[in-house]
Amino acid sequence: MRYSYIIPRKKSIFTAEIRLVITFFSMTIFMLVGTYSFLLYKDTMFIKDKRLIENQKIVFQKNTKEMEAQILLIEKQNSLSQKIFTKNSVLKDSIKNLFDLVPQRITLSEAKLLENGLILYGITPNKDVYNFMLHAPLRSIFHKTYSSFYPAKGGWLRFVSTNYMDDETDEILDENKGEKHD
Amino acid sequence: MTSINRQSIYILILSTFLLIFVLIFSLKFLIPHGKEYREQRSQLSFARADLRRWKNFDDETYATLKTLQSDNRHIIEAFESSFNEQRFIKTYKKLFNTLSLSKTKRLDSQDGFEVYQVTTSSQISSPEVFYNFLDEVNKSDWIIGVNFPINFKRNGEVISSSFSMKVYCNGTVPSNDSNTSKEVKK
Repeated sequence: MRYSYIIPRKKSIFTAEIRLVITFFSMTIFMLVGTYSFLLYKDTMFIKDKRLIENQKIVFQKNTKEMEAQILLIEKQNSLSQKIFTKNSVLKDSIKNLFDLVPQRITLSEAKLLENGLILYGITPNKDVYNFMLHAPLRSIFHKTYSSFYPAKGGWLRFVSTNYMDDETDEILDENKGEKHD
Repeated sequence: MTSINRQSIYILILSTFLLIFVLIFSLKFLIPHGKEYREQRSQLSFARADLRRWKNFDDETYATLKTLQSDNRHIIEAFESSFNEQRFIKTYKKLFNTLSLSKTKRLDSQDGFEVYQVTTSSQISSPEVFYNFLDEVNKSDWIIGVNFPINFKRNGEVISSSFSMKVYCNGTVPSNDSNTSKEVKK
């Protein structure tokens, strides 16, 4: 015997409301897990980036250090070469001045330019010419001047002029010693 | 009195579970990792700023180095060149009547540079030649300093001259040098 004309629907625990709630909860859990995954991913990326930056920094530091060493070397090279070039130019002027110093009437046969002195060999018509025209200017330049003469042909005289400068460092040391005693 | 149906109980239980889950998950994982994320982000931005600073410094140093290198090209190349007696004679023979180098001797290093002493003897027609040589030597392929003692001796129409030179280089040994090793460490 039939009591109803409709077929009874199956009863389920997942009613429309429950399904709605589960969907909402699933979305919430998904968002939470998604946020957590995002944080984990970002943390990993940050660590990776930091390591990369650190490596790049080391490369830059090393590179900069090498370039600074090169700059220092070039500056040293530049300074030394300028010193040498200046010394060469000064030497040229000194030699030029020395030969300009010798008057026409005196003929040099040999000149020895030393670190702190000058030795000249030559021939002069007489002592007066030598004394006035060469010895006097040499004496004004050098601290110690010695001359010796030997007779040559035709009444001329051969001379050897030895001229020395006092070592400036010795002088400074002497001065300092003197100051200390005072 | 209203009775609570089964469905409402399910929803209540689910909600309670969700609440507990959300609380535990947030306190245990999300909040600590969020803090860490902020710290890492600030550290990274600091590291990036530091890297930028180093990069700028590196760029500035590079620009300075390039300027110095281009301004002092001749000097740098001269210091890098090892002294070659044959090439020296070939270059400067045109100034002198005769030119010979007698010995190359290694001296003590000066300011970190290797120094070699070369004794030179030559014949010149007038002192002007020697002045020209001193001008030319400053433009030579090597860093050369002419040193005392310098001797000039008249031999008829020519002047025999002898002088010593100091050749400076970065650490390479002049060629034709039998007394010293072939390569000197920097």
